[in-house]
Amino acid sequence: MSSFVRSTLIEARPAPVAVVPTLTRWRRTWFPSLAMGVLSLLLLVLLVVAGWHFFGWALVRAHWSGVSSSACPGDDGACWAFIAARWKPWLVGDYPSDQLWRAWTCFAIFALFWGWAVRRAQGASQQRVLLGFVLMPVFFFLLLLGSGVLPFVPPTRWGGLLLTLVATLATFATALPLGLLLALGRRSRLPIVRWLCGAFVEGMRAVPLLVLLFIAATLLPMFLPAGLNVDLFTRAVVAFALFNAAMAAEVFRGGLQTIGLGQREAATTVGLSDLAALALVVLPQAVTAVVPALVNIMISVVKETTLLSVIGVNDLLGAIESGAKSPEWNGESNILTSGHVFLALAYFIICWGLSRYSRRLEARR
Amino acid sequence: MTNKLAAPADANAGAAVVQMNAINKWYGTYHALRDIELVVMPGERIVICGPSGSGKSTLVRTVNLLEPFQQGHLQVCGVEVGADAITRAARLAVNRRVGMVFQQFNLFPHMTALQNLTVGPVWGNGVSRTEAHALAMHYLERVGLSAHAHKHPAQLSGGQQQRVAIARTLCTRPQVVLFDEPTASLDPEMVNEVLQTMEALAAEGMTMLIVTHEMGFARRVADRVIFMDQGQIIETAPPDDFFERPQSARLRTFLGQLLPH
Repeated sequence: MSSFVRSTLIEARPAPVAVVPTLTRWRRTWFPSLAMGVLSLLLLVLLVVAGWHFFGWALVRAHWSGVSSSACPGDDGACWAFIAARWKPWLVGDYPSDQLWRAWTCFAIFALFWGWAVRRAQGASQQRVLLGFVLMPVFFFLLLLGSGVLPFVPPTRWGGLLLTLVATLATFATALPLGLLLALGRRSRLPIVRWLCGAFVEGMRAVPLLVLLFIAATLLPMFLPAGLNVDLFTRAVVAFALFNAAMAAEVFRGGLQTIGLGQREAATTVGLSDLAALALVVLPQAVTAVVPALVNIMISVVKETTLLSVIGVNDLLGAIESGAKSPEWNGESNILTSGHVFLALAYFIICWGLSRYSRRLEARR
Repeated sequence: MTNKLAAPADANAGAAVVQMNAINKWYGTYHALRDIELVVMPGERIVICGPSGSGKSTLVRTVNLLEPFQQGHLQVCGVEVGADAITRAARLAVNRRVGMVFQQFNLFPHMTALQNLTVGPVWGNGVSRTEAHALAMHYLERVGLSAHAHKHPAQLSGGQQQRVAIARTLCTRPQVVLFDEPTASLDPEMVNEVLQTMEALAAEGMTMLIVTHEMGFARRVADRVIFMDQGQIIETAPPDDFFERPQSARLRTFLGQLLPH
């Protein structure tokens, strides 16, 4: 066999253009065989029928304006008048009308921050985004509660979307640092620290959140000193925070495990103490690695806040429920259904947005 | 002198930089290092070789206490450590005087090359930021990578990453640098750039303890070559004697198995 030597190099050529007609390609994608074609058709028909029914209920036969349940007779169409007329309870609850600017400020700050975070979702800014999530609720709490120049507004008068927002952010802001400490505690050299942190995390993960909330609502006041009166909302947020701290601890533990021993050894050899190595080398990498998972925790916190209505805190769900029981909107079952559909849509928009954001963060790495 | 790749020699020059007396180490029941006796004088370049699992890496990792030992006595750059006194403080004290280059580079992936170099001096040794920055740029220049100062490790080739790692360890002004198979995970065409950097470092009088399979490099650079097997030092000799007149049968077998380079 003779040897071969290439004397001219082959130039790169463009890939050949597809020559299959569009219609054929479409048919192959949607109806590749008889059975699959039937399945495609069946699902399409189902989708169209269900969509048509919902469309008719939600838009065509819906009632759009009115101030009482008489605006929505019968139950064949949605009652958006209910949502529109009661905008204040579901947005801000029972917040004093002359102090509403404080609530709007919170919403505006959050919207601005969120816009900023989404627009520059680069790796370097992720820690700043986390910092924002920790600092914002503290500011919101102080602004909404008020004292001194600002009239005091007790949390019992907060409600609706505002309360959901503050509860979510406050939970997040306390659960994250606590979760990080728990995760570090589980890796401690001290057996008692390791054991306590492990027991706390495992215990929290094994108890339903609703049970925790009931304990916070009913049992906790009996154990607190007589003079100390913590309001229901704060107690519930503490329960949320403890529960989600355990969740975050597991996420952080996973993040810490992704950082190899080599990184800590390298940190040691350049003269960093164990604490400096943790703060400068291990944590920045571990936290960045779990940001998408932390956003997922946030999504579940948003949805968990609906449990607040069960213990009598006036959150978004609670505002809709109590609205449907109010004298002017009582009577038609359709009104509550419309409220629930509206709620589902509102939560979908918030959580779907968050999940898109988390996807983007994942894709960027 | 100002252009030297190596930090200025220690004040107590003349004393041994590393002295290991009867060091023994076990992994569980496995006897990994057996009665190790080793003295490294300032400016000495020592290459350690041997079959895999012979304890070469464990030996150099014991020098900067990344691996604790159970018996024996260690003296590194004036820090005395007994087997019963391996504390975090001792490890930190040793590591502030000793540099290390790893097989897997172990650069910090979330920092730029420049930040990789400055983080140790600034946060470990209290060097001011401006001074650390100047020092880092100096060493990046010396390993030929000053143009890449603001890139992250993932944007650099393996050879470049290892050169950054060498610059990083030099930036902490070590009195001795340990190399743990620095070229073993590099593509063949990148081995030379790293070896050249190490040769330049050796030419300037840096004390070096090198685990490597690069026998050509060992011949050119080493003052002494150590052959290890089964956790023991089998033979120590200047490179000419080591390669031309091996005394032990084990070393002859080992050298016979190497491809002629």
